[in-house]
Amino acid sequence: MSVRYLGRKVLGAIVTIFFIIVLNFVLFRMMPGSPERVLLRNPYLTQEKIEAVREQWGLNDPLLPISISLDPPAISVNPANQLFGYVQSTLTGDLGYSFKFRGQPVTEVIGSRFWPTIILIGAAEAIAIVVGLALGSYAGWRRGGKVDRAGSGVSLILYSMPYFVIGMPLIIIFAAGLGWFPTSGMFTIGATYASPIDQLLDFLHHLFLPLATVALGLIGGYSIIMRSSIIETRSEEYVTTARAKGLTDNRVLRAHAFPNALLPMVTIIAINLGYVVGGAITAEIVFNWPGLGTLTVDALAARDYPVLQGIFLLLAVSVVIANLAADIVYGYLDPRVRT
Amino acid sequence: MSATIITARDLRNERWRLRIRGARTFAGRFVRRSDGVLGLAILAVFTVLALAPALFVGPLESVTTASGGPLEPPSLTYPLGTDELGRDMLNLTVHGARISMTIGLLATAITIFVGAFVGVVAGFTGGATDNVLMRTTDFFLVLPTLVLAIALAPVVLEVIGTDAEIFGIRATLIVIVIVIGLTSWATTARIIRSQVLSVKERMFVDRARVIGSGSGRIMRRHIFPNVVNLIVAQAVITFALAVFTETTLAFIGLGDPFQPSWGQILNAAQEAGAPGLGAWWYIVPPAVCVVLVVLSFTLVGNALDDILNPKSAGRR
Amino acid sequence: MPLTLRARGLRVAASLGLAAALLAPAAAPTAAADPVVLRVGTVQDNDSLNPYATLLVVGYEAFQLSYNLITDFGNDLEPVPGFAESWERAPDRVTFKIREGMKWSDGEPATAEDACFSWQLGLDAIAANDGTAGYLGAGFLDPGLLDAGVTRVECPDATTMIAYTTDQSDRIYQSYMPIIPKHIWGDETWETIGEAAFDAPLVGTGPYTAAEWQTGEFIRFERNPNYWGTQGFADQVVIQFFGNADTMVQALKAGEIDYARGVNADQLKALESDPGIQTVVGAANGWTQLAFNSYGSGTGKTIPDGGPSTQALVDPAFRDALGYAIDKPLLVERILGGYGDVGTTIIPPVLSQWHVEPTSPRTFDIELAKQKLDAAGYVLDASGARLDKEGKPISLDLVYPNTDDVYAKSAQFVVEWYGELGIKTTATAYDQGTLGELVLPPEAGEGYTADYDIELWGWSGSPDPNALLQIFRCDAIGSSSDSQWCDPDYDQMYDDETAAATADARKAILAEMQNLVYDQAVYDILFYDSDLHAYRTDVFAGWKKMPSANGTPLFTYGTLNYTALTDATAQASPEPSPSAGASAGASATPAPSGDGGSGTGGGGDNTLLIVGLVAAAAVVVVGLVLFSRRRSAGTGEEE
Repeated sequence: MSVRYLGRKVLGAIVTIFFIIVLNFVLFRMMPGSPERVLLRNPYLTQEKIEAVREQWGLNDPLLPISISLDPPAISVNPANQLFGYVQSTLTGDLGYSFKFRGQPVTEVIGSRFWPTIILIGAAEAIAIVVGLALGSYAGWRRGGKVDRAGSGVSLILYSMPYFVIGMPLIIIFAAGLGWFPTSGMFTIGATYASPIDQLLDFLHHLFLPLATVALGLIGGYSIIMRSSIIETRSEEYVTTARAKGLTDNRVLRAHAFPNALLPMVTIIAINLGYVVGGAITAEIVFNWPGLGTLTVDALAARDYPVLQGIFLLLAVSVVIANLAADIVYGYLDPRVRT
Repeated sequence: MSATIITARDLRNERWRLRIRGARTFAGRFVRRSDGVLGLAILAVFTVLALAPALFVGPLESVTTASGGPLEPPSLTYPLGTDELGRDMLNLTVHGARISMTIGLLATAITIFVGAFVGVVAGFTGGATDNVLMRTTDFFLVLPTLVLAIALAPVVLEVIGTDAEIFGIRATLIVIVIVIGLTSWATTARIIRSQVLSVKERMFVDRARVIGSGSGRIMRRHIFPNVVNLIVAQAVITFALAVFTETTLAFIGLGDPFQPSWGQILNAAQEAGAPGLGAWWYIVPPAVCVVLVVLSFTLVGNALDDILNPKSAGRR
Repeated sequence: MPLTLRARGLRVAASLGLAAALLAPAAAPTAAADPVVLRVGTVQDNDSLNPYATLLVVGYEAFQLSYNLITDFGNDLEPVPGFAESWERAPDRVTFKIREGMKWSDGEPATAEDACFSWQLGLDAIAANDGTAGYLGAGFLDPGLLDAGVTRVECPDATTMIAYTTDQSDRIYQSYMPIIPKHIWGDETWETIGEAAFDAPLVGTGPYTAAEWQTGEFIRFERNPNYWGTQGFADQVVIQFFGNADTMVQALKAGEIDYARGVNADQLKALESDPGIQTVVGAANGWTQLAFNSYGSGTGKTIPDGGPSTQALVDPAFRDALGYAIDKPLLVERILGGYGDVGTTIIPPVLSQWHVEPTSPRTFDIELAKQKLDAAGYVLDASGARLDKEGKPISLDLVYPNTDDVYAKSAQFVVEWYGELGIKTTATAYDQGTLGELVLPPEAGEGYTADYDIELWGWSGSPDPNALLQIFRCDAIGSSSDSQWCDPDYDQMYDDETAAATADARKAILAEMQNLVYDQAVYDILFYDSDLHAYRTDVFAGWKKMPSANGTPLFTYGTLNYTALTDATAQASPEPSPSAGASAGASATPAPSGDGGSGTGGGGDNTLLIVGLVAAAAVVVVGLVLFSRRRSAGTGEEE
């Protein structure tokens, strides 16, 4: 992989991230309803009070660096504007303070909800990749066979089900019904643990159903894609050559077809990350899993701009980085990309 | 022995004959795929329900005319039970078909229109335009869809105003349509563009250029017909995704209680505590409908994709 | 390197094995000396532990557990000892006797100095703002002092606080100022305390101090060893947040929590049949209303790009006629499941001392409504649309918040009924922040246009009716008014009743005010929705309603009920035994691990289970059948 290729990709990522930051600002400032109004139905709320809050949050500064007014026609430059302020503080790691959780920095609010989501998504992706790829490649290799028929059918159905449609029945059957698993949450409420192992086991006990939900949804998609990728690879010349040479089917699959079919999967998995975290929102809601998904929905309801911006930024930047990593891995693996 | 003069009319007739033969081959191939046929059948049922729900279950039941008790299990009067306001679930589910499918259709229209346009222009023009368009597309691909959808919804509502209505769909849901369109077009653009690129490489385009056809003509007569197949297949798959996304967004709470789509019904079921109360009839019908529709569209789309865009070694 | 199929298979098996290991009930964390934990569920996520910054009921509950008010609320909301152990009322002052020997939870002595400091924060805020309240933090607490007429506080010694008042009312005992420790917060002023970081663990004199707060998850409180009152049976209290009522109710049924606040009507009915669970319906001190935008009433002002879309809304006769088109008993039955009261006047019936029924109540009668509209000059045109006096068809813009589906459902009914009158109504949902801004008129600032016709929302009040009454004042336009209604007579009556010398005199004026607002149909109050809670009776006993007639045990005024709870499994006498708390815990530990699915009995669940299993099997079967005839597709595709 040449330095030029690497350099190009990294530069592209940086530019994209910059645009994301700007878009982030514009998008959330365009949302109607101002944050100080989050102060609920306080019968004693006064206009002076509102003004004071706006001033404090810097909401009275002009929005953009340049203001254009039509009457009288003028273009004015605003050195102190919210956009610059936002970009500057973001780049220094200051994501501001939450409007809803008054006084708490956004990084803290998001930070505490970050790990539950990462663990859930990470573990689900890991399982889905292993099972989905295995299932898909075996199904595609032996096309029309038993594994293919059963597997593809179930995969398609799972792929068509939103996460909460998978999750609700799981709760109904295994949690509320059989009682094998808790109905919600990450830890047993109000529990004290004799040892860290106990705490870990309790955590895993709570993780099982949400994990199963997200993993099942992902397996559906991955196995389908892997299946078509394998089918396409199977008809490639080098595969037919290998088979003609007399290598056993399994060996051809493992050593030749699979690695090459894997390449596009790398990109797909990377791109999928962004969608997965978003889609997992519904899974988190159904299981009351205290992760970024439930935080997003709560922050939206409360018009908590800083937190929403922080989440958006986090997700988008993660996808960019994941894509960059995929590109680098791809560049390393695929001999064709050596420019 | 007499020389045969081939007239323009003959050429046209020949083209038509080829087209019809092509269509028959296509139909023949399609019928042989049991998955595509199954998908089509399911789709047909839902389309009929969506076009004229009132024919089957009467007008959408209103809260003031609801006659059942809250959360009644299925019975002879109410085959699918009632919701917490006493409305007939069968009625709601069938009318939900109209809402969900209309939203899917409109969203797909936007997605395909924008995506195909961008994809064709980018793929064909190449160079700087392609670069700029692809950067934009990539940018949209990177954005977290659901969070973006959630953030865009109130903004779009502000822009279009609360009185807007298209095809009987009110403002709140139009917002969903636009949001899905905005967040889905990038994938379509990408796919179309790569198809355009591969078509561009084929010999006859160069030949046409050598003969002297202009760019627009080339785009119209050569590129487009070969891309249309892919666009159609993509449209069907996009429809599935649109219905899927709409259901998710409505479940989160962005739906409209006055026009209950399946996702909105599921949201209401969750709010009413249906899972914990064991009111499975509130959840299962809309959920099954969503899964069936998404599934059938995916099946048909895959079948179309396979038939219209055969992949084989060497033809790249 | 690509994994071999077998290696991959092993990995899958390993994870499945781990999963199987997890199916067995987790090594139960319960041991003999585990703390007794009261687990309370709510669907409201806390926003701040800072008493001056929180806006939510759950936030209030949290700070009342950690901190004392000067006097607490008794079983019928009468003042009982709080930070002060006794008090004496004089015409111009109240002398509070602060308990001797009280200690903060960190061991420092708690004296009158802390009380004076805490109250002074509120008084400073009021003084600095020309005698108006609402500037201390979020502005919910200092109005209580203003309303009670407190002008000055003095602490001559460590056990005495004297509060000077302008009148003799009882409102001083209902002010909500928490007493916070001066030795920790002494450097804060009224301007800074609202933003101060009240990080757990908190130091207070309440029975349970907040020890840990995980946003989005729970607040954990620990027993205050230095609490001056009766120690509660529970060692810890956990307030757990749930994303929706459904998961909360399931947790209650499974025994994962002991108390659930905010279930809906259907859930309540289902819980009633559960032997281990007790349900409670608390009368609400608040309502859900249709607020008509009557901007310009009395003043004739209009807003260029906003305001009500028709002058009909400014006409009381029009608003009054609309009131006959709403079937309120039906709403209570269908939307609230019967748990609520039909809406009438602006003092909720739960404040029975002050509430009166309207002298000329409206009934549900669509025909009568139509007649009244015709009589008032609003007639139908040829197409069936009702016209206003300017000849325009009336089309109303109804706005409501997306926070509770009670609003969405009410909106659906209203739209249909008004439709029968020939009035087209369009209902739109907004988030609270946007909605709060939407209903503001130009008096609130530039850019606000009050561009709505009907606002469907709710209010909830305090023990004293003034909190809700002041919404209708002329000077509330631009701040809390959502009807934009103005009547100087009303304002005068408000001032009179606040200064009234006797309760009877006050009541007479309040009755007049209520009828005035009712007859003018400023609001159409739909109903007073009740609070629906439920709790388990197999772990904790001694649950009491507060107020005793129609309140709820928790999330009410004051927190006495937390310490009044006892061990449900103990065979001993019913009184709470103060010191038995820690040692009696052994036999009564609530099983924290929620498996075993206790108490989920009921035919519905079994049907559900069977349906679920059948559905899962169906999915697999369909999947197989779907591709059982894929012969030609299998081989013929490769071209």
